[in-house]
Amino acid sequence: MFRKYIALIRMKYVEMLAYRLATIVWMTGAMVQPLITMVVWTNIYPSQSNSFILYFITLIFVERMTSAWDVWELDREIREGTFSNYILRPFHPIHWAIAENIVYKVLFLIVLLPIWGVLAVFVPALRPDVSGWQFVLFVTALFLGATLRFMFSYICGLLGFWVTKVTAIYGMFEVVSLFLSGRIAPLSLLPPILKQISMYLPFRYMIGFPIDIVMGTMTRVEIGYGFFGAMAWAIIFISVLRWLWKAGLKKNQAVGG
Amino acid sequence: MRRYWRIFQEFFRTCFVEELEYRSEFLGNLLSSFFGVGIAVLTVQIFFYQTNQLGGWAYADVLILLGIFNTLQGAIDFALRPNMSRLLEHVRKGTLDYILTKPVDSMFYVSFRHLVFWRLIDILLGVGLIIYGLVQKHYIPSLADILMFSVSLFSSLVLIYSLWMMLMTTSFWVIRIDDLSFIFYSFFETTRFPIGMYRGWLRILLTYVLPAAFITNTPAVALLGKWNGVTTLLSIGIAGLFLWLSRRFWRYALRSYTSASS
Amino acid sequence: MIHVQHLSKSFRVHVRQAGWFDAVRSLFKREYRIVEAVKDISFSIQPGEIVGFLGPNGAGKTTTMKMLAGLLHPTSGEITVGGFVPFEQKAEFKKMMSLVMGQKSQLIWDIPPMETFLVNKAIYEIDDRVFRQTLDELVELLELQPLLTKPTRSLSLGQRMRCELAAALLHRPAILFLDEPTIGLDVHTQEKVRRFIAQYNREHQTTILLTSHYMGDVTALCDRVLIINYGTLMYDGDLKVLTETLTPYKLLEIHFPSVPDVSWDDYGELVAVEEGKVTLRVPREQVPEVSSQFLRNFQVYDLNIQDPPMEEVIKRAFQEGAHVS
Repeated sequence: MFRKYIALIRMKYVEMLAYRLATIVWMTGAMVQPLITMVVWTNIYPSQSNSFILYFITLIFVERMTSAWDVWELDREIREGTFSNYILRPFHPIHWAIAENIVYKVLFLIVLLPIWGVLAVFVPALRPDVSGWQFVLFVTALFLGATLRFMFSYICGLLGFWVTKVTAIYGMFEVVSLFLSGRIAPLSLLPPILKQISMYLPFRYMIGFPIDIVMGTMTRVEIGYGFFGAMAWAIIFISVLRWLWKAGLKKNQAVGG
Repeated sequence: MRRYWRIFQEFFRTCFVEELEYRSEFLGNLLSSFFGVGIAVLTVQIFFYQTNQLGGWAYADVLILLGIFNTLQGAIDFALRPNMSRLLEHVRKGTLDYILTKPVDSMFYVSFRHLVFWRLIDILLGVGLIIYGLVQKHYIPSLADILMFSVSLFSSLVLIYSLWMMLMTTSFWVIRIDDLSFIFYSFFETTRFPIGMYRGWLRILLTYVLPAAFITNTPAVALLGKWNGVTTLLSIGIAGLFLWLSRRFWRYALRSYTSASS
Repeated sequence: MIHVQHLSKSFRVHVRQAGWFDAVRSLFKREYRIVEAVKDISFSIQPGEIVGFLGPNGAGKTTTMKMLAGLLHPTSGEITVGGFVPFEQKAEFKKMMSLVMGQKSQLIWDIPPMETFLVNKAIYEIDDRVFRQTLDELVELLELQPLLTKPTRSLSLGQRMRCELAAALLHRPAILFLDEPTIGLDVHTQEKVRRFIAQYNREHQTTILLTSHYMGDVTALCDRVLIINYGTLMYDGDLKVLTETLTPYKLLEIHFPSVPDVSWDDYGELVAVEEGKVTLRVPREQVPEVSSQFLRNFQVYDLNIQDPPMEEVIKRAFQEGAHVS
């Protein structure tokens, strides 16, 4: 298993090199919307500029580290029929996607961390006061968030066996999650009803929850509930994924890819 | 001029036929347009849940701004965006040669050949939003307001076209990136809100270097009757300047294409 | 119609790098290589001529053709086509010429060819009446009627090529550049396209410059050929003369009831011995004598005298590398 992963990661690394320019452009582009939102909030609450700066820069980082594009890949592969190639091999295709995620996210990390370091020298707001415990919790929550977002994207992608416009559906979810995951505004600034809803949906645990840990605005109890929610959704997603995968294979065999 | 209008109509007709060929559903496109506007308005509402002004603009003002943003975005998606990837394909496959042998301006051809008429819905929704904003504000623009608004909106269209064309022209060299339009949208996003929000060097950058301020803000201010002649003239001047630049850049790219490819 | 004098073209080719580091470095310092694609070519073509343009891949055929069409700027030399300097790209020039590339399509993929025709009508400002007339003629000659309303993507390669030709001829160009018009087509369709080109040329006196890999296209259509290799013009003249000078021999195909045991070398160069059939390569001037010898001395069913295949002529032309004129 480990060897297979090394081989996969190598391959995905070479593949990424071919698209490095596009990758960097996309990454830079993905920062614009959060930065604009940050400007809006610092205008609304000029006195709390610093905490908004920290919030949105962390948001950029978390958003990149948890980003998921698998639904587009799967949609294309299923539509063009190349997905069958993966099914034929004695290795679950999800591992290809996981390996690809690892490669790209290591790249994001390598690019983003030094940028943060340099920015922190000039912008005091970017030197968060984080304890060791908080850091461990943040990394755990970030990992959980990335897993949730990945699985959600993969689940939507597998729906491609039945539905033709999965990317459109996924796009709708992405937009809804703009509000409920804390990307438009920190959840504490949302109308209470939206905040309540967000606690029960998976989107908050993908992005907002790790950021809130860094901001240190939650009580211990709230953090505990947060981890509970994230774990619960992870279990749900895993079950759905397994079930969809089996049903999808059957469907694929019936129509003949 | 009339000849180009006729050619444009022909482009529109073929794209209409092409679209019908795929029978893309009316309903789906309609829904996605409404969804887009709805989300944009919701975002503004979330901001105004916490405040009553944004960069000096009240809720209704921002709605008008958003309406103009939506209209312009619709125009881009209608006429410009579908052509971005096509140009890349022409350069990659060498079919640009056919366009260059035709007695029609090549810049005109590559920027308007493909149209996605569904996006005209976005333009309509944008206009609707502008009107809704005006109603909310209980403001009836005078004839002069509307005239100034039209002039500056025309300038922003020219400006957008020029900036877009410059970006598109880079595909002669950067052929690895499939969809450069992404870069344009990143910039265009900054025009969604009042430019007064931005501070310091960012504001200078967005006013003079990448003239975002003239794209949505100037028309919105004009419509609300707060126009001044100098700004309007300036917006015409800047639009003309950028159009000239994009034209020069396109020519330059063609020259290097015609002397470098094999 | 076409005059070319001392035409040359060289390209600066950027040597690309692979890795991250090299890619970054190449942003600042690029390495170039100069490729001379066309070297000092001169020729002229009269109105109404069909001229074949021959040469191996990368010889400079397409480069020359693109310069004639105004797509490439020559490095040095002079071109006039129909009185225009092509690279100035005047609209009047563009209206009098047309370009068809066998490997590239100008038809719009998802919609019927008729739609592309209508776009071209608007672009070339073709009058309604003239358009209908021309279209009717082309539809008849190319048998397009059933194809006009089908989406382009559903057409076969041959059907698509016929539509490409029609799209290129709607504005009645005086000059037609054909770059590999029959590439990838089956023999039957190739034949159809050739017949069309010949007929169209006869009826409209269109000047046609044609490049092709298929000798069949050239032998069927062109009396005159230009041969280009390594960017230089090696031959300009009659196709028949070329055959005679380059291959001063003919192929003698003799059918026997049973192949006799003779020393073939006394008669000519042995090419092949098959069951009941022998092929000999015999110098042109000896052909009458050798054939009468066979007819006299052996029992012979049949005897054919053939010119060597065009491919061989051309191969020789390239091998000898000399200027023949």
